[in-house]
Amino acid sequence: MRLQEFWASQGCVVMQPYDNEVGAGTNAPATTLRALGPDTWRTAYVQGCRRPTDGRYGENPNRLQFYYQFQVLIKPSPDDIQDAYLASLRAIGIDTDAHDVRFVEDDWESPTLGAWGLGWEVWIDGMEVTQFTYFQQVGGFECSPVPVEIAYGLERLTMFVQGVDSVYDIIWAKGPDGVTFTYGDVYLENERQYSKYNFEVADTSFLFKEFADREAECMKTLEAGLPLPAYDSVLKCCHTFNLLDARGVISATERMGYILRVRTLAKACCESYMEHVVGLPADADAKGGER
Amino acid sequence: MSTSQTLLFEIGTEEIPAFDLKAATEKLPQIMEDALGDARIGHGAMEVYSTPRRLAVLVHEVEEATPEVNETFKGPSVAIAFDEAGAPTKAASGFARGKGVDVDALEVREEDGVEYVFATRRIASKQTSTLLPRVLLGVIQSIPWPKSMRWASYRETFSRPVRWLVALLGEDIIPLTFAGAVSGRHTEGHRVLSPAGADIACADGYVEALRTLKIVPTQEERRALIEEAVRAMEADLGESFSVVLPEKTLTEVVNLSEAPTPMLATFDESFLAVPEEIIVDAMLMHQRYFPIYHEGVLTNRFVIVSNGDAAFAHNIIDGNQRVVAARLYDAKFFYEEDLKRPLEAYVEHLDEVVFQEKLGTMRQKTDRVCQLAEKLCLDAEVDAAVAGQVARAARLAKADLVTNAVIEFTSVQGIMGSYYAKACGEDAEVSLAIAEHYKPRFAGDDIPAGEVGKLVAIADKVDTICGLFAIGQLPTGSSDPFALRRAALGVISILLSGVDISLEAAIAASLAIYQEDGISFNAAEAQEAVESFFVTRTKVMLKDSGSSPDAIDAVLAAQVIEPVIIVARTQALDAARKGEPAAFADLSTAYARANNLRDAQAGSLYDAAAFNASEAALASAIEKARTEVNEALAANDYPTALAALSCLRAPIDDFFEETMIMDEDLQVRANRMKLLNAFVEVFANVADFGLLASK
Repeated sequence: MRLQEFWASQGCVVMQPYDNEVGAGTNAPATTLRALGPDTWRTAYVQGCRRPTDGRYGENPNRLQFYYQFQVLIKPSPDDIQDAYLASLRAIGIDTDAHDVRFVEDDWESPTLGAWGLGWEVWIDGMEVTQFTYFQQVGGFECSPVPVEIAYGLERLTMFVQGVDSVYDIIWAKGPDGVTFTYGDVYLENERQYSKYNFEVADTSFLFKEFADREAECMKTLEAGLPLPAYDSVLKCCHTFNLLDARGVISATERMGYILRVRTLAKACCESYMEHVVGLPADADAKGGER
Repeated sequence: MSTSQTLLFEIGTEEIPAFDLKAATEKLPQIMEDALGDARIGHGAMEVYSTPRRLAVLVHEVEEATPEVNETFKGPSVAIAFDEAGAPTKAASGFARGKGVDVDALEVREEDGVEYVFATRRIASKQTSTLLPRVLLGVIQSIPWPKSMRWASYRETFSRPVRWLVALLGEDIIPLTFAGAVSGRHTEGHRVLSPAGADIACADGYVEALRTLKIVPTQEERRALIEEAVRAMEADLGESFSVVLPEKTLTEVVNLSEAPTPMLATFDESFLAVPEEIIVDAMLMHQRYFPIYHEGVLTNRFVIVSNGDAAFAHNIIDGNQRVVAARLYDAKFFYEEDLKRPLEAYVEHLDEVVFQEKLGTMRQKTDRVCQLAEKLCLDAEVDAAVAGQVARAARLAKADLVTNAVIEFTSVQGIMGSYYAKACGEDAEVSLAIAEHYKPRFAGDDIPAGEVGKLVAIADKVDTICGLFAIGQLPTGSSDPFALRRAALGVISILLSGVDISLEAAIAASLAIYQEDGISFNAAEAQEAVESFFVTRTKVMLKDSGSSPDAIDAVLAAQVIEPVIIVARTQALDAARKGEPAAFADLSTAYARANNLRDAQAGSLYDAAAFNASEAALASAIEKARTEVNEALAANDYPTALAALSCLRAPIDDFFEETMIMDEDLQVRANRMKLLNAFVEVFANVADFGLLASK
């Protein structure tokens, strides 16, 4: 909440989580699509992220198949963005002067989105708490102006602030009457069930069909000149692919093929967005973006 | 005489990646030197400073103005410079253009009684301060980065966003702007220790200002500071404690802080049950911590290097300890999970890992390596027990790539497989070979110690090299993504350690396996390309180890492919030549002479009946040498072959002394030609002596 207030005070539109499965806050349309084009854009939102292969049946204190990111996207990137970021840490109670905060090189690339950027992972006393990236390209298009993305790992940050060693020990709420809810109370059973579902139960023939259907739906929607709803299908494809991956039914060679299919869709959505929403000739820009 | 001042140029940035910063710091002086040189600004010594947030250069004794130029050049004579009508000729206009003056400005002067045209070039002196904005802007733009980026709405690129510029000539600001950053005298401080930064009054005060801001301004100084503190820690810990500071991680750590403070931390001793390679990988690669050993054994202590305020060391150590505990918890969890199944069970999952797009998965590679290893065992004539171990090790060599521990900590590949193999009761030789088959991992690394490891390593590396050559993915220039050069050098080193197999046959076998696998390519071309790749690597290795280049070339001229033979011969040739320098010089001279004179078409079936005494002596020496050389080569005894050749020195010298080859009698001449051919042929299988430079 305090992160939201902080970034709202920096002029960001505070949005609610996107209601579709995403692998990272970056994938939500408020980041991916809005990163394109010349318009100013500032947003901040919490995003629940699903990474089926990271599930550990609730047994690992650091890994989850569902977790929260706090995502900030500001375009163009402000000159004092690092200072603003450090101020945001202070706003949530981290005394940056009393810890070792570092910006450690970490270049970001998303093969499924055809996107890349340069930046850092931010460490506090050796713990990675944030991804900090200046987007250079999204969906094959050069970003101009350049947006900066800040993605906080909320569980990690909270563990740091509360000084607990297991994500499940995080105190989520404590009533005046002393009634306490931990992260474990809220999500432990969820992790167990979803880990089992993702790794063992999910129906793979259904998922293969869903992938193909969604792919076709995406193309149809794009033909109608509607990149925003089409992008929903891209996200569905991504998630379906991740589930199939977790079920262990995608071989290494097929893997590349699926990633390429998703990228093709993502690029097509970005192209359509450039054409229909931004109103720029897509081709000219795409050339500048090849790399 | 103009006066001089100190120039300061500091580029303030967001955190530059550690290795890129190191490279840029090394290049900056030359870039500044060139930029000042191009603008003809005279200057003195230069010093470079860098931290993750700044790249700076101080130039001493920068002249306040560029020197005025007044140079005179002598051109063609007047007779050539002007035509009959007195108009300038092409010669004159060309000369004028070359010197950068107008043709009308040429002057005529007499020198030694002849009139010549002269060109005078004048360049006025300029104020350095007016030139510097462009010079400094050029410097920023000239710094090369492996990766660069744009930010906000600017078109300029740099490693990371540039946030401030300090450009001072003495006390004066040199005005320039780069991607929104406007030059001034304000430098930012350390994020925690001196966030207010400081105004630099004059360029000479720069370093002192940084020190006041508690910033350690050079890489060398930060490194020395870390090393010194670490040595002090070792001394405090007591006898036989040592902190390992690998170069790569140290470089990174040095460039991850503006004011480094090493701190001592610990982790729970129970984690020491995990193989130490994983712990070290987690600490070095992931967290950039330095492990501490006691009498060579890993301890539960480690060194962190903080960029924070040392007054809060307690906080910082505590936080880092928690991170390492979480990491090691993961490592321990992975390790224990992996141990639940035998290593064999992971082999089938290797089809989930791509070796190379066109060459298939690691599973396929494993099958190929098994087949090739079997062939190598036959060639090496190892006994059945060893062959069995090789087959087992080849099958399990890559299995750990799909274990949790290796997926998470990639640098422990092979090593983990070895632990897992041991744990599920595999033969000790097999476990060792799994760990060793990646060796040598880098230049100067050991080769596998065991015979099993050597054979598996050769099979693995030859498979990689042949496969990538088969699909045309040869290393080019600096691009060698599969480290084929290192793999070839590894194979050569292993062969030299005494593995008796034919590389030529191994390459052929590997290529045949690929063809059976359905990869289509021209086998003969690939064979030749791989062989010549190995020959080139052998050459490079020999040169690096001090063999004389002409000896290597002489040996290679005899068309040998096996690295072991090339190396043995080159060394024997060098040694023999060193023993009898005069004899070898004479012999190579005689060889070269014979080779030049002879007519290769004439054949070598001479008519002995027509010989005079010196011819007959040479002929019999040749026959004797031929027999000896053939016997010696068959026995791989190259020194004896060389000795046999050196016996030809006296007869060939006599022959040249006594006999006129270009006899008028054409028949006699032809017979002598044949004799020379016979002489040259004896050398053919040994070395091309014509390539030996006489010393």
